Parts: sequence; C-alpha cells; structure tokens
Amino acid sequence: MHELTPLIPHYIDDVYDSIKYFMPEIYLSILFIVVFITDLIFGRNSRQLCKIIACVGVLLVIVQDLYQVSLLLTNGQPTGHFLFNNMLLLTRPFITFKFVIDVLAFILLFYFDWDHKLRAHKKGLSDLYSIVIASVLGLHLMTMAVNLLSIYLSIEMVSLASYLLVAYRSDNSITTEAGLKYVLFGAASSAIMLYGISLLYGFSGSLNMFGSTVSGLVQANGTAVSFAILLVLLGIGFKLSFVPMHFWVPDVYEGASTPVTAYLSTLPKIAGFALLMNFLTPFIFYAKWSGFDFKLFLSAVGIITMIAGNFAAVLQTNVKRMLAYSSIGHTGFALMGIVTFTQQGLSALTYYLLVYGIANIAALALASYFTNLAGAEDVEGYKGLGVKYPVASVCFVIILISLTGLPVTAGFTGKLFVFSSVYASYQQNHDIWLLLLMVTGALTTVVSLFYYIKIPLYLFVKRTDILSDPVKSSYNILTLSIILSLVILLLGIFPGWLISYF
Amino acid sequence: MLTLLIFIPILFAFIIVVLPSSARASFKYITLLATLVQLCISVWLYLNFKTGAGFSGIDHESQFQFVQKIPWIHLNLGGLGTMQADYFVGIDGISIGLLVMTSLVMVIAALSSWEIKSNLKGFFALFLLLDMALIGVFCSLDFFLFYIFYELMLLPLYFLIGMWGGARREYAAIKFFLYTLFGSVFMLLVMIGLYLSVKDPATGNHTFNMVQMMNPANYEIGSVFSTLSHQTIFGFPARTVGFVVLFIAFAIKVPVVPLHTWLPDAHVEAPTPVSIILAGILLKIGGYGIIRICLGIFPEVASSGAWWLGLLGIISILYGAFNALAQKDFKRIIAYSSVSQMGFVLLGIASQTAEGISGAVMQMVSHGFLATMLFFLVGVVYNRVHNREIYNFRGLGTLMPKYTVFIMIAFFASLGLPGFSAFIAEAFSLAGAFKSSSVNGLLPQWMAVFGAIGILFSACYFLWTLQRMFFGSVSLKGGEIWKTALVDLSTREIIALVPLALVVLAIGIMPSLVFSKINDSVLELVNFTKNIIH
Repeated sequence: MHELTPLIPHYIDDVYDSIKYFMPEIYLSILFIVVFITDLIFGRNSRQLCKIIACVGVLLVIVQDLYQVSLLLTNGQPTGHFLFNNMLLLTRPFITFKFVIDVLAFILLFYFDWDHKLRAHKKGLSDLYSIVIASVLGLHLMTMAVNLLSIYLSIEMVSLASYLLVAYRSDNSITTEAGLKYVLFGAASSAIMLYGISLLYGFSGSLNMFGSTVSGLVQANGTAVSFAILLVLLGIGFKLSFVPMHFWVPDVYEGASTPVTAYLSTLPKIAGFALLMNFLTPFIFYAKWSGFDFKLFLSAVGIITMIAGNFAAVLQTNVKRMLAYSSIGHTGFALMGIVTFTQQGLSALTYYLLVYGIANIAALALASYFTNLAGAEDVEGYKGLGVKYPVASVCFVIILISLTGLPVTAGFTGKLFVFSSVYASYQQNHDIWLLLLMVTGALTTVVSLFYYIKIPLYLFVKRTDILSDPVKSSYNILTLSIILSLVILLLGIFPGWLISYF
Repeated sequence: MLTLLIFIPILFAFIIVVLPSSARASFKYITLLATLVQLCISVWLYLNFKTGAGFSGIDHESQFQFVQKIPWIHLNLGGLGTMQADYFVGIDGISIGLLVMTSLVMVIAALSSWEIKSNLKGFFALFLLLDMALIGVFCSLDFFLFYIFYELMLLPLYFLIGMWGGARREYAAIKFFLYTLFGSVFMLLVMIGLYLSVKDPATGNHTFNMVQMMNPANYEIGSVFSTLSHQTIFGFPARTVGFVVLFIAFAIKVPVVPLHTWLPDAHVEAPTPVSIILAGILLKIGGYGIIRICLGIFPEVASSGAWWLGLLGIISILYGAFNALAQKDFKRIIAYSSVSQMGFVLLGIASQTAEGISGAVMQMVSHGFLATMLFFLVGVVYNRVHNREIYNFRGLGTLMPKYTVFIMIAFFASLGLPGFSAFIAEAFSLAGAFKSSSVNGLLPQWMAVFGAIGILFSACYFLWTLQRMFFGSVSLKGGEIWKTALVDLSTREIIALVPLALVVLAIGIMPSLVFSKINDSVLELVNFTKNIIH
C-alpha cells in the first residue's frame, strides 16, 4: 500500500485535469438526475415537463460537444487526449460522433410521445426520458472507451437502457416476446464479449488498449488471440447487428414501439461503429500486428450483411420489419467505410451514419404517423393513403429515396462519400476485397430500391375504391418529417455545409 | 441562359404545387406556358449558336457556348486534396440539336396531357420536374451534375407511369426503374473512379469535369483509369471495364437489344404524354451519353470495340423490326420500331466517321420528332375508344381522313422516304458504316448492308399496319359506339401535329438546319478520337 502513496497525487491530478474534457458527460449526468427528480416530484403528469427539460438539456450538451472541439485545438492536442488514466480517449472524429448522437437523440426526444401507442401506456412516459438520457451518457462513453474495461462497462450501460426501452410497453405477446428476446440475446452476447475480453486480458496482462495490450498479444498464441478477438467483435456486432449477429433485429424492431425502434436502429448502432473504430485502431496502427486479419473479416462480414439484409427485406410486408432488415443492410454498407481505415473513410462513415440516422428516424416517425391516423402497419394498409395525406406521403418518398441513396438527397451524397473513400483506398493498395465491397454495395442499392419503392407503390400507385373513413390530421409528426425531409434535400444539394466539419 | 432553360420548369412546378387544388383547370395551361417559354429560349439559343472551328466544343472547354461555371461542392478532404464538383453547363453541336428537339417535344407532350383527368397537381408537378432533369442532362458538362440529373429523371417517370398508366402499370414502372437504376449505380462507381483518376491541371484538384476527363494528360499516373498505367479490374483492363459499364448504363436507355425488354412494357403502359417523353427524349439520352461520355472519355476502347457496337446496332435494327412485324398492339409496334430506329444511332456511332456520327445525331433528332408524332397519334385513337388492337380497326381512312393524313406522313417519314428527316439520318448512318471499312477499318461492309435491310423491314411493318387499320371498308370491333366515338382530329391535336410534320419535312429538305450546327463538333470529335488512338 505504501509504495502506491507517491502515485496518488498524480492520479488525482489526472482525474482533476480530465474533468474539463468530460463536460458533456457531466452535463448528461446532471440532466439525468434532474429529469429523474422531476419525474419523482411531479408524478405521472410530468411527461411534458420531462420532455422539455430533456430537450433543453440535450441542446446544452450539444453546445458542450462543439466547445470540446475548440478545447482540443487550443490545448494543442489535435490527435486526442486521454482521460481518467487512459480509460477514455477524446479525439476530434469521435467528438463528431458524439455530436451526431446528440442531434439524433434530440430529434428522438421530440418524437417519443407523439406515437399514440406509446403514449397510451399507463405508466406514463416520464421514466422513458430519464432512461434515454442515461443511455445517451452510455453512448458518449462508448465513443470514447479505449480500455477493455471501459468498453465493456459502456456497452452494458447502453444495453441495460435498451432492455428497459424495448420492454417499456409490453401489453401484448409480440412486444413481450421482443423484450424478452432482446434481453436474452443481449445478455448472451455481452457474456460472450466479456469472455473474449478476459481472454485478451489473460493473454496480454493489460486492459489498456493503447498501452501494452496489443504488444502483449503479439507474443501470445495466434489462434487463441484470434478467437478472443472474434468473441469481442461478436459482442460489438450485436450492437451493430451485422450478420451473423442480426437475428434478433427483425423481431425486436417489429415488437418494440416505433419510437424505440427508431432509437435502437440509430443511436446504439452509431456508437457501436465508434466503439469498433476505437477497438480496432490500436491493432491497425501497431506495425508488427500480423494475427487476425481485420480487413478480411470486416469485408466479408460487410458483404454478407449487405446481401442478407437487403434480400431479406424484399420479402417483408410489415413496414417496421422491412426497415429493420434494411437497417441491417445499411450496417453492411457502413462497414465499408471502416474497412478503409483512413481519415477520409471515417469522416465519410460519420456523415453516412448521420444521414442514415436522420432518414431512418424520419421513416419510422412517418410509420408512426400512419399507424396513428390510419392504423396501418403493413404496406397493404398504406393503400391509397397517398391521396389522403399527400404531404406526409411526399415526405415519405423523399426519405425513402434518401435511404436508397438516389440524388438529390443526403443519402446519395453519403453513399458517394463512402464509395469515393473506398475507391481512393483501392487505388492505393488494389485490394480485391474493396472492389467486391463496392460492387456489392452498388448491387444491393438496386435491391433496396425494390423494397423501398413498395411504400410509395402502395401509397400512390395502387388504387383503392374505399375512401370512407374521414381524414384525420395530426401536425407534430408531420412538421418533424417536413423539416427532416428538407434537411435531407438540402444536404443532398449542398453536402459541403456539413461534411467539411466532419 | 442555360440555367434559365434548365430551371424554368421547376419554377412553374413550384407555382403549381403552391396553387390550391381548386385552380386545377389552370395547371395544364401553366405547364404549357412553361414548355413554350422553354421552347422560345432554346430557339433563341439555336439562332445565336455560333458555328466554326473555334466553337466546336467536345474536348475544349473554351469552345463550349453559353457556358456557366459556378463552384458548387468544394470539400477539403485532407490528404486526398479537394473534392471539386462544379455547376458547369454549356452546349456544343452535339447538344444543341437535341436541346431544341427536347423543348419542342415537351410542348407537344404538354399538349397531349389534356387527356389526363385525375390528380392533376401531381401529374404536372412531376411532368415539369422531369422536364428539368431532361434539359439538365443535355446541358451538364460536369459528370456529377450529369449524374444527378440522370438519376433525377427516374423518380418522376416511375410515378408518371405508375400512377397514370394502363393496366399493368405497376409492373412496367418498377421494371423500368430497376433496369435503369441497375445501369446507373455501376455508372456511379465508374464516375467515382474517373473522378479519382483525373486532376484539374489548373487547380490540381480531383475533378468531375467531363471535358477534363477527355484529355489523357490529365490522368494521374498510376490511377485506375489512366491510359498509361494499364490497371486491371478483376483481370480485365480497367479502361475497358469502365467503358463497358458506362455503355451498359446508356445502352439500357437507348435501348440496345438485349437490354430493351423494359421498353415495350413501359411504352405500352405509360399514358400518352409520358410515352412521348420516353420515346422522344429519354432514348436520346442513351445515345447522347454514348457519344459524349463513352466515346469522349474512352475513345480507344470505343474504337477497339467498334465491331461489337456495330453488331449490337445491327441486332437492334433487325430484332426491333422483326418484333414490330409480329405485334398486334398498335403502340407496341411503335415501341419496337423505336428499338429498330435507335439501332441506326448505335451503328453510326460505331463507325466513328464524320458521316456516321452526324447521321447518329440526326437520327436522334429526327426520331425524337417522329416518335413523338407516332405516339401522339396512337394516343388519339386510344383516347377515343380505349383500345389499340390492330385487328379491331379497319377502314379508319374513310372515318378519320385528317388523322389518316398525319398517320401517313408519320409512317412514310419513319420508314425513310426521301424528303423527310429520317431518310437523311439513316442514309448518313449507313454511309458512315459503309465508309468505315475503307477509312478506319472498324466496321465490315456487311453491317451496312444489314442496316439497309432493316429499313426494308421497317417499310414492311409500317405499310402493313397502314393497310390493316386504315384501308378497306369501315369495320370496327366496337360497332356503332366506336364509330361515333372516333371523331376526327380536334384543333388542339392538329396544332400539336402540324409543327412536328413541318419540322420533319423541313429537316428532310434542308438537312443543313441541323448539320450546319453539329458539323464542327462532329468533325472535332472524329479528329479527337483519331488523335487519341494514333
């Protein structure tokens, strides 16, 4: 004990110094407590209040995120800064990830109580806001975690919040099944990941990824190390939902209430990509690393994921289920950006994920809208709604076009950036896998059009005779989706406004 | 000026969207006004289009006319330099003819939209959006801009066919969409490859500028599509792969057999105005793309593959003609005749002679007018009795004399009667194909012979149709009801048809109306490809 005493001041200094780099997370913690207490004090009627507090709070967090950029620059640490004794790493690209997460969370917070089914829940929604805030804190940590321990803890934090969200409304057998399935698979996959982490720790004797973990692993048995890495990747894969860790996605997305699906399909996934980058970076930049071939693994997984996700989506008729499979396909596409391991690839990936997130949330919000107003869950139910709700339907078309990746939408520019970063990387090293990835990406775009267009097909093209039930109106989701569609169009025409900051 | 030309439709579309539905009767007039304004601008462009060696365009950026170049996307990508895509529009001889043709065809299409009765706001908004994209494609000189307009056409067309089409419209619309998208996503990959291979000599940035892409000196050494580095993709030479991918994308549009199967479905199911746009303008985008992009950027591959291009052209000509002979649906005959006639475009391009390419451009312009006329005429009958089966009609000649006059003009012009534009166009394409064997040895003479045989077959199906439907005593499947329904052409229809007939005749008698404008560019293109190859 006594030999550690001289080290203590140093640790305290480090912690104290880290705090100023930790402001967004501290804000989030405070916000969580405030929302939580508001809920306790005002009880069930506090939904609106909690919502306002949460939204304002997240705005403040976004401001803090932006402030961090200049903080890194003024302190002369453009490459990044380690926090809390190498537990976390704050770098410029991952601040962007945090920014993306917070912006999407902000949109989601607005959207949660506009879904009639979720709002009808008797527990009230106040709890939901505190859970979401807590999960955003976890997501922030995920983007920064560089220590095997912090990686695991941050993932678990997000997982716990997600379990609660999925099971929040468990009024029928499908939602209950979804909730239970998610918890079981989630628990199993984090156990697998924990096992992998403990193996890595055992082989290298260090939890610090940027410290001696990698150099320690080089000396261990190659096969065993590869096995351990594979286990960890599978754990992360559960969050990203790439094949073969995708099987839970359709059921859970379909069963969870729509806003929660919007949450699951965007935020944890985006943070998962950040975490994957964090986990891979030490290996990639360790010159002597010759074991597990990440590029090969991720390329193969990416290709399979794109094919499986997109082709499976073709067969779906339930809108949420279709979007679930399509989000698997998007994961595959985004993996393409990671495989390049370049700065450009990373910024293209971030942009792609932001655009995907906006479009996916908007698509699910519109799915809510049609469920609210017309009770439609299947594409069949959308028949003829295009004439009744023209504005919402046109927005839906724009958003789906963006998800497909056609001009003039942000989805197209996102796809373009990812493709060009992969191409640039191909031009350097002539790796056949990159070419295969691009060809698969192009092919699956055509496939994805086939199922995305189903929604406009039913909205506009299929004719119906019955136009009996009166047209109801609801403005909140409509306004949101108009704004998001406009954003998507503007980003499609002028991508330079955003990508230059990424 | 070009910017105005491109974006006028979208302005009017905006007006239509904003206007309340109660004003729906005025939508067609607004659309007509938009297309007329556009026609005026393009005629003005045509009149002010300068000719001469200094204005030939093709691979000289300074020789394009009415150029507008505004920086659009300039992104600093760190180590990879700056991404540069400009709003860069301009025209040369290849585009001016097509531009005027497009504007006139759009007016006719707007006139034929009178038949649309449901959901007018949606129809005319999409119509004008499509109009913008079509004009944009012909004006863009930046590949990125070109691609955006190229893709932007698909969605309006999907809805126009899908929402206002015939019985099998859903199938036809999705088939069209998937087919074209299949071509264009791979085009996207090649576009990115070209972009990363080419550097703007002035700024040192990678660029999407098509004119820069034509100059082999601008390719970075060691880049995928560099002429010097001989890179391979999956074991094939990279430039060949690039050419083939782009060619397939455009061949789907043309359409070249065997990539044509979307066309009969889409044409038959589409409402008349959309058929007119499809046949009159959309197919030309394929031909234009092959000339401007495939031939311009990959000239050496185009000439080494010329034999195959010529063969595909011949197959299209003959296969289209045979299919047209076998059809029972009036509209399907016209659709297959389009396949056949567009084959001449490919044949002319493949010859890579001045005659051949002039003939190809001329054929595109001429077919634009003729196909418009034919589809408009089919629409006239269909609107009156909602039937187009050839064997259900007989003796229309006595029932609808004015209609028959126009049908005869259109048929005879299409089958290449001297004095009409198609004759000039086909004659030049074939002359190019004949000459090719002695000038550059790209195409064997038998190809030209088969092309000429194709004309013969086109005479067969047109004349046979004429005989079956229009001659003889009146005998209709629908009996008296049809007889009263089949009234002769109205004033509006005559107003739409007369200018087309006049233009076709004028070009046939004075081909210099087109040739004088395109000649410099065609010569420049032929010279340019020759220089690159040798």
